[in-house]
Amino acid sequence: MRVSRHLVIGFVGTSALLLLLALSSAWAQSAPVPANEEDANAGFALPAVTGQIRLLGNDFHPSMRGPLAAANALQPGIATQTTASAALETELRTSGTGWNLTGTLQQQALPGGSHPNRAWFNEAAVTRDVAGWSLSAGKKIVAWDVAYGFRPNDVVQQETRRLLVSTLAEGRTVIMAEHFDVDTAWSFVFANAGHARSELGAREPAYAARVYKRDGAADWHGFARYGAHTGASVGVALAWVATDALEVHGSVRYLARADSKAFDTRSPLIAAVSPWQASTLRRATQAIVGGTWTHESQLSLMVEAWWDGTALSPRQWDAWRARNTALSALPRDAVPGAAVGGNLAWQSEAFSAASNLHRSNLYLRASWEHEGWTPSVDLLYHPADNGRMITAALLWKGDRVQVQGGVRINAGPAASVLRQLPTQQQAFLAATWAF
Amino acid sequence: MKITRSLLPLVALFALGSAQAQDASAILKASDKFRMSADNLQVETQINIVNADGTPDKERKYKVFAQQNRQSLVIMQSPSEKGQKVLMSGDDFWLVMPDSQRPLRITPMQKLLGDASTGDVSTLSWAEDYAGKLVGEEACDTRAGARPQTCLHLTLTAARKGVTYQRIELWVGKTRYEPHRADLYVLSDKLAKQASFVFDKPDAPTTVVEMVLTDKVSNNKTTRIKYVSRKERQIPKEWLNPQFLVRGGTFE
Repeated sequence: MRVSRHLVIGFVGTSALLLLLALSSAWAQSAPVPANEEDANAGFALPAVTGQIRLLGNDFHPSMRGPLAAANALQPGIATQTTASAALETELRTSGTGWNLTGTLQQQALPGGSHPNRAWFNEAAVTRDVAGWSLSAGKKIVAWDVAYGFRPNDVVQQETRRLLVSTLAEGRTVIMAEHFDVDTAWSFVFANAGHARSELGAREPAYAARVYKRDGAADWHGFARYGAHTGASVGVALAWVATDALEVHGSVRYLARADSKAFDTRSPLIAAVSPWQASTLRRATQAIVGGTWTHESQLSLMVEAWWDGTALSPRQWDAWRARNTALSALPRDAVPGAAVGGNLAWQSEAFSAASNLHRSNLYLRASWEHEGWTPSVDLLYHPADNGRMITAALLWKGDRVQVQGGVRINAGPAASVLRQLPTQQQAFLAATWAF
Repeated sequence: MKITRSLLPLVALFALGSAQAQDASAILKASDKFRMSADNLQVETQINIVNADGTPDKERKYKVFAQQNRQSLVIMQSPSEKGQKVLMSGDDFWLVMPDSQRPLRITPMQKLLGDASTGDVSTLSWAEDYAGKLVGEEACDTRAGARPQTCLHLTLTAARKGVTYQRIELWVGKTRYEPHRADLYVLSDKLAKQASFVFDKPDAPTTVVEMVLTDKVSNNKTTRIKYVSRKERQIPKEWLNPQFLVRGGTFE
């Protein structure tokens, strides 16, 4: 009930904001029409504001397996597990010559009456042309690389992949210089200026560069990045339209060092601090190869296989499983339940060691677009332990309204990493209205 | 001597065929002028999709920069598609979705996806993409009650890969070569759409103001592509670089 009330308040707030925008837009339209172009340039006109409102609901079915479930069984409530959530998001966009601004207002409703609100700029950047170069500064989405399921060379934005509902990412703070001609583009970026050198992942201060070259049916990309503490990485990517129906792509990156998490082997079975600590991985490779085939009936099939050398190895996962078993097997009367529960809960930190759970991954996706409806089904498969993540979704697109819903289920052997995740099954429903 | 004499009809047939092809090519170029009045254009386009029962389905607005050498940039303007862009450069295509801010290479087949085929919106000429053949003279409009008028019937066959339709049967006016109707066939030789054209002045047409497409594959929906305005405009060459499309700011 409280969830609904807060969403209503959010809706009223958003409506008031929209009314304000509509009034400003009406004022702009009612302004006298300039007699000629010079007058138009001299006058002041409000830039158009567009955007969308999205209502999103999630239902999470917690897993009965895995360290978090075991921790909660020993010590109920030691690790919080979200069972449902709802969010109202309003995305506003405006732009002019040489600048663009995109922001999101979000009101969430969580079980237990929690209703965190958040507002952020996705992008707020200015761009100027100087001596044949395009110079940009501000918050900006700099999305590089090819492929869908995993993008090794997305070295600036480092966008989360395979989200259930596609949303606009939050950009990074960048200073950028770019040069374009018809077939070539050069980009030089200084990302996360002002961040501490010790910041991890996408928040680490870094220099990055990309060269793009179009060669007929092929797009070639070369990448380089130098992170404040991770050092150098280089990569190359290709997207090639092989036939009228088939596109193939590949991307590979070599990293001198990468941020990760590692288990401290000196740690006792019952530790006082989490044995999973931030670590630096040396000399890793990431690579993906895949393709998309589309039939004239608007059926699309995608296959991708990738390797992520920064993810935990099968041997590390075996050690992780052994520790879970050892913790669960401790006699209840010998060790306090809270200590065992806490150590089991810390085991779930392994899930966020890298952007992929396993090093070897296979991804398949089929979708069909027909009269506004798009059913889709995809599978992420881990050969290392036969774990499977299956997603089925249905999207309907109207004139301004878009509705999508679906379910994501983790399947496979009980010991597979996917089956150990805190959420076993997730259902979602999202409705979007564009204005 | 005998050999030469026996080859003469063949040579004559070849010469006739060649002349017909030249005629067809000239007719096609003249027909294209009714939609693509200059080498480089900026065209504001409004699309209304109507259901088979006549009820409105969707409205879309596109800004199309149609440039010479088979290059065009389509900027989606409608609220639900705002930020979406499609770039076509010869046989190559890229799509930018607003959420990704990343130009995606797409295949000609993926170009067919979406509410209105982007190929229909961005392609304003056929002469460069198709080889034409004059079939004969036929009625411009075969529907009951239509004004009796004779047209030239041309068969257009795709001369390069990447075109939206593999074959087009086109009927054009005998004097001005204005396009009247067209049957559009996809790669499998299935009739995908039927097109008809609306002119500024029906008796003395100078330009096509609207193209009406009827979907023959699935839903019998009608797509009305209205050319709201056309003006000559050559865009900067870097606008035709896919990576430029995510630079930010407006394309004015």
